Amino acid sequence: MVALVPTLLRQELARLAENDARIDGRGRWEARDITLETDCLYNGEGSAKVVWGDTIVYAGVKFEMRTPWPDRPNQGSLMCGAELRPVAGRKYEPGPPSPESIELGRVVDRGIRESGCIDMESLCIVPGEKVWGVMIDIHVLSDQGNIFDACALAAIAALRTATVPAERFDVGEDHTLKVNGTPIMASFTRVGGRYVFDPTEEEELGGDERIHITLGDEGHLHSLQKGLKGVFTPEEFAEIFDVAQSRCADLRKLVANQEGN
Amino acid sequence: MGGYGDVKLLREDGLRLDGRKIDEMRPIEIEAGYLPAADGSAWVKHGLNVAVAAVYGPMEAHPRKIQRQDRCVIDVRYNMAPFSTSDRIRPGYNRRSREISKVTAEALESVVICERYPRSKIRVEIEILSAEAGTRCVGITAAAVALADAGIPMRDLLVGVASGKVEDTVVLDLDKAEDNYGQADLPVGILPNTGEIAFLQMDGDLSPDEFNLAMEYNFKAAAEIHDIMVDALKRRYEGGEN
Repeated sequence: MVALVPTLLRQELARLAENDARIDGRGRWEARDITLETDCLYNGEGSAKVVWGDTIVYAGVKFEMRTPWPDRPNQGSLMCGAELRPVAGRKYEPGPPSPESIELGRVVDRGIRESGCIDMESLCIVPGEKVWGVMIDIHVLSDQGNIFDACALAAIAALRTATVPAERFDVGEDHTLKVNGTPIMASFTRVGGRYVFDPTEEEELGGDERIHITLGDEGHLHSLQKGLKGVFTPEEFAEIFDVAQSRCADLRKLVANQEGN
Repeated sequence: MGGYGDVKLLREDGLRLDGRKIDEMRPIEIEAGYLPAADGSAWVKHGLNVAVAAVYGPMEAHPRKIQRQDRCVIDVRYNMAPFSTSDRIRPGYNRRSREISKVTAEALESVVICERYPRSKIRVEIEILSAEAGTRCVGITAAAVALADAGIPMRDLLVGVASGKVEDTVVLDLDKAEDNYGQADLPVGILPNTGEIAFLQMDGDLSPDEFNLAMEYNFKAAAEIHDIMVDALKRRYEGGEN
């Protein structure tokens, strides 16, 4: 059972924060080791595996052919969902989608959608009749902290390597999905009274609210979300926003390097 | 955001389609103590949005596993009535309303002094009766007034307000067309007295400068809405009108 009231943990985290230290020895804005692998699932039209510290997530892209919405006859659709299966940790239980998994899926979805990296009209096959529906499914296999960033990274990496399976549906030749840009999420959690980047599970357990920032290639904001109990000041936001710019640039480079291979 | 670049949202004279200035809010009316059955309640009309919030509790928390030994939990249900939009909404909880309920509850837990009621639950019901963009903000404002009306101790009132971007211009308080065809939406929940933020979402495209301007508009509007909220609560308890 997860500690009911992690008072001792909170005290320890506050003590560490006073000395600008973290429980695993990292700097305040330092990420854990991240490895990204793409094209790792045979049946996924695009796929990615992210190992972020001890957090492990997979993302897979599937395409379906569907009739367009009546008010958008020449546009396809994009959908991104996340599942927090019981496999991911002792705090997860079987059952219908929890509010946590819904929030996770929707925040990742907004970052990708609002960056405009997928041109919905390019997903049209026959206007008014046939369009592509692109589905990104994220599977969290191990939650050891900061699953939001890991999921967002896996999702965009999988999307960027996806192949449109046109031959299987008899509508032309298979081709690479066109993705214009690499939206990246950076998340911050208040631990011991101040924000840190990339919290571990322990820091999340003994921490407070979190802020998720998704930035596009130009450094523009595409999605923001505050989660959990807590408040913050505009000055605190300005500080983490600066850090987010450089962390997102690092992660974007990671995606680009992976594609170069 | 819808992202239809060809829809005109700003007029030649620089005003918006409904005649508002760039940094002008839609009119707001608030009534505290609207529902006789509830422990606290509020009715908020913001433009054409109408939200009603009811607070029940503090009460015993069920089931037992949701209880917290050192504080109360706040259970928020945000719901849009089937008749609240132009196309009927299928009744019941969907992914959108679940997410809004979750982050709204977390925002309210940040302002309510939850430690006062260990092992209890406070139920906050937000019903959107009429929707015209920005319903989550109106819901937050209504919930805060209803909590105050119920006499629940809070660090501050919480004000829901949004800014956004249309035709590359940052504007305060998007209406329906601006929300559908605009480029960004930045809804926040502000504690007007402490200057802190307890609710934050955003989607669309904003440069860092545009974000700062949108936040500036939000803070200015929050102060105005706060006065209207306080007025409503004063009317309820001083004037004896209700």
